[in-house]
Amino acid sequence: MLVSTGLDLTRLVKPPRSLFVNFPMGNPFGPPGSADYQRRILTVALELTSTMNTPGDITELRDAWPADFQDKVEASLLMG
Amino acid sequence: MEPVRYVDLLNQRYKQLGFPEYKWTVNEDAPLTPLIKPLDECRVSMLTSGGVSHCSLEPWDAFARNDFRLDTVDPMATAQDFEVNDSYYDTTDANVDLNCVFPIDRLRELDEQGVIGSVAPRLWSGFMGRIYKRTEVREVQAPALAAELHDDDVDLFLLVPA
Repeated sequence: MLVSTGLDLTRLVKPPRSLFVNFPMGNPFGPPGSADYQRRILTVALELTSTMNTPGDITELRDAWPADFQDKVEASLLMG
Repeated sequence: MEPVRYVDLLNQRYKQLGFPEYKWTVNEDAPLTPLIKPLDECRVSMLTSGGVSHCSLEPWDAFARNDFRLDTVDPMATAQDFEVNDSYYDTTDANVDLNCVFPIDRLRELDEQGVIGSVAPRLWSGFMGRIYKRTEVREVQAPALAAELHDDDVDLFLLVPA
């Protein structure tokens, strides 16, 4: 099971099963210090593993990041 | 916010930098092995490719390319035992709380609560940075890791690219 923050990238690569979380790269399990939230996303990912049986399927978590995260997107586009 | 179109944005960025057109990996199908055990009987392992290193080890090269270093991670280590170095995403939150990107403490808690059967004896950190050698990944590195997971009797493997 893959936990992804890049929906288009995941569609290209097509892992066996994926959970897409529309959060910034670096925060697939949510914000820092939010243990309950991190546990929830982790549990969802683990539980989906037994129910997602179509190869390449992506389940999209409906939760929204509380703010625009364009600054974090810019950081993920840097070239080393 | 709509999902970020990373492919379009990166294509634009590469073009601006004068790089040749990037050839994205496109897979037409995927393998799938059904999970036959209930979750509370499964042994779970986890991989991060987010530049996560134990403080006793060398930090990752934040600008790594084609680095096939692969660290084993002790599942009893806690989030405070690690640092994160990766220039390809904003690591600010991950360095405050590793569980944002590699929920090692949460996974151990799910074991203690009986939600999963057990945590595998080894978790993993590797495939970090930009890797352009796809054949090496597909034919050498990934099968080698799969063999290690098999040795650990892992039932469920969670991959978190960051």
